[in-house]
Amino acid sequence: MTKLRTTDLTVHFMGLVAVNKVSFSMDEGEILGIIGPNGAGKTTFINLVSGIIMPSEGKVEYKGRDITYMAAHERARLGIARTYQLIHPLENLSLIENVMVGSIFARGNSLRAARRKASEVCAELGLQDLDRDTSRLTILEIKKMEIAKALANEPEVLFLDEVMAGLNVDETKDLIATVQLVARERALAVGVVEHVMGVIRELTHRVIVLEAGELIAQGPYEEVSRNPRVVQAYLGGAA
Amino acid sequence: MAVTRRTGILIVLCIAAAAIIIAWRPTVLIYGIQQAGLYAAIAIPMGLVLGIVHIVNLAHGEFMMVAAYATYFACKALGMDPLLAVLPAAAVTAGFGWIVFQLTIKRALKAPELNQLILTFGLGIVMSQGVNLLFTSQTRKISLDYVSASMDIGDLSFGIWSFVFVAVAVVYAYGLKFFLTRTTLGKAALAVGQNPRGAAIVGIDVNRVYGIVFALALALVGGMGALFITKAAIFPMVGAPFTMKSFCLVAVAGIGNIPGILGASVLLGLSESILRAFRETRGWADIVFFVLIIVVILGRSLKWSFPLKGRKA
Amino acid sequence: MNRNLARILAALAGAVMVTLPALAGAYPLQVARNIMLYMALAVTWDMLLRSGQISFGIAGLFGLGAYASILAVLRAGMPALLSIPFAALLSGVVALIIGFLILRLRAMYFSIVTLALAEIFRIVIQNLVDFTGGPEGVIMKGRIFGGSDSGIYWLTLCGLFVALGASYWFEKSKIHFALTAIRNNEVSARTSGVDIFRWLLLAFVVTSTIQGFLGGIYVQSYGFATPDSVFSADFTLLPLAMALLGGIHSTVGPILGAVLLGLASEYLKLQIPYGHLVVYGIIIIIVILFMPQGLLGLFRKATRGGKGRAS
Repeated sequence: MTKLRTTDLTVHFMGLVAVNKVSFSMDEGEILGIIGPNGAGKTTFINLVSGIIMPSEGKVEYKGRDITYMAAHERARLGIARTYQLIHPLENLSLIENVMVGSIFARGNSLRAARRKASEVCAELGLQDLDRDTSRLTILEIKKMEIAKALANEPEVLFLDEVMAGLNVDETKDLIATVQLVARERALAVGVVEHVMGVIRELTHRVIVLEAGELIAQGPYEEVSRNPRVVQAYLGGAA
Repeated sequence: MAVTRRTGILIVLCIAAAAIIIAWRPTVLIYGIQQAGLYAAIAIPMGLVLGIVHIVNLAHGEFMMVAAYATYFACKALGMDPLLAVLPAAAVTAGFGWIVFQLTIKRALKAPELNQLILTFGLGIVMSQGVNLLFTSQTRKISLDYVSASMDIGDLSFGIWSFVFVAVAVVYAYGLKFFLTRTTLGKAALAVGQNPRGAAIVGIDVNRVYGIVFALALALVGGMGALFITKAAIFPMVGAPFTMKSFCLVAVAGIGNIPGILGASVLLGLSESILRAFRETRGWADIVFFVLIIVVILGRSLKWSFPLKGRKA
Repeated sequence: MNRNLARILAALAGAVMVTLPALAGAYPLQVARNIMLYMALAVTWDMLLRSGQISFGIAGLFGLGAYASILAVLRAGMPALLSIPFAALLSGVVALIIGFLILRLRAMYFSIVTLALAEIFRIVIQNLVDFTGGPEGVIMKGRIFGGSDSGIYWLTLCGLFVALGASYWFEKSKIHFALTAIRNNEVSARTSGVDIFRWLLLAFVVTSTIQGFLGGIYVQSYGFATPDSVFSADFTLLPLAMALLGGIHSTVGPILGAVLLGLASEYLKLQIPYGHLVVYGIIIIIVILFMPQGLLGLFRKATRGGKGRAS
């Protein structure tokens, strides 16, 4: 079942086209890689879909419903969650309280219900000692907290924006397994932005490739990585 | 961006109304322009600081007040004319500003905007209340003969001394424009204002430039402080309204647009002057710029979010 | 153990507050009232600050409430005690209307607009001479409770409890999570489902209502209002300095700051009649530069072995 679909999604800032006529769809249970060189518009694309910025043209549909101009917090309530590259833990709140935020506002849970939900999600991700201040977490724990916060929204579509950045090999393996587990159990549609191609190969069923805001290829990673146009894009202006 | 017909008509009506009033009472125009000169001359340094150092200096008016007090006491002690004190006042205020910058503002440059706002707010209180503490809230004035010089054209008689503020404002605006576009230091300052990180990468000492720009702005404020006392009585709170008015003018002109402050000042000066011309509306003159500031800020916020916000990553 | 200590201190403070009217004379009661009033204002300022919005307009809503209360008594014959909640209601409604306009603004633009609005309220009231008495203000024939010192003390204490209760509610409910998320990062708050405007509006209206309520209490305790007295910059400045000194983003911080600064300024007022406010300015500067978390922050650092929370 198609969870999310965009049609000719376009945005320009002051004459600069950041995302240009991107049409794609994401199905239930699918882990989709979003790749492309720096500045290709990957994060902008996620911002458009999650409602942080509004498109200039085109359409976004969630489970068949037009959400192109819907406010971000309403999309969160419908079931679209995401993480951020730069993670800002909420100051003066503990690990579990950070995770609770999504449950409280996206799901409208009471504080008590949100705490229960958050501790379930944390347990699932292997987070322990939940009353710790966030200044005492390791990088891996911070990343997991960010994912837990998104999962506490109880989403059906989840975007992970470079969650693996800054992790070592073992930590990356750990997090890949975690993401696969939670995606399978919830039948989530997951969109993953990553620079490390090894992660993309391990994690995703399918990838889309953006270059200069345009979707230039899509398909399984092995296939796409042999596509001459994609190779050219990654080699960049060197040609 | 097309102006809708209705706002167009509204603007034309306002201009027509203003023209009628001015034709009826030409002094309204003259005093309005003079007032505009005073506002602009005080606002321009704030525009410089906001445009380059990106600090809203809520102690702006207080710096001018302190300069005016310093000039007052120097003139009383030496029997000197305040006009002779303009340059020394500028130099002393610049030095004072530089010290204040190094001791306080520099440390808050990387702090959230909130802290900067409250810091300069606190500086303003220390200055106004410090003067209050030392010299009480008594008003002080120097009487000078040439200030009452007037001019007659037909039946019309008006004071001409305040045109000096208009001259100063124009000199400040175009002098700064020249400084920022034609001199090496000015160009560096402009670069720092537009992109501090980039400027640092090409080897500009950003904090030094901030310090110099702040001191330069305060030199201009100090000069105005000395001139201010030729015309007006001073007291500890005399500077406070100018902080708000200056901010208002800078916001109307748009941050970074220094000559635009001249135009915004004329708008403000004339509107106030028109309201002051009638007894029934006199009391409302002070409200003009508060309304103006809100309208401008709200109007802008609808079109784009202010670029200052995204400055800190 | 820390929590027990806090409970004991709170119980002690409560006991002192309740027994004060029986033990102390008119002057200490007046000092206590002043401190309680500023403490309540400091707490409300902090409540909005928890969302990251700095208001410079406390005096505006306070003054509005003061005039609403005194004019309701003088012009409409409303009972004095009823006029106080009326003042709160009016300030709340005004805040609701202006909130829709200004809560889109952020950082310095929000602050400056709140300051400008406070000035507009003052100028409007000053110019509606027939209704408000203009610059000379208005005076009531007698004060509330026949001017009884202890009656007015209890009234002020009630105002303080309203502010503290609201602050406690803010701290213990969803509002705490909403405001913290907004202050921290609005973008990520939105994608967590936080309807930013709604929560800001709630915080702004609640704090403004309480400020109006306190304005009503203030004006009824003194029995007169002039634009310069009830819109005095002190009502913005002192609460701000108190909250900063004690420690922002908490209820305890403003309380601590209000007690210390309130007592200090009472002493200084007697020593230096002009310009004792300079002390406030110096405190603001020192706090911002050297201890942005206030005394509470220093205390926390000391007790928890200095775990870094400085930004």
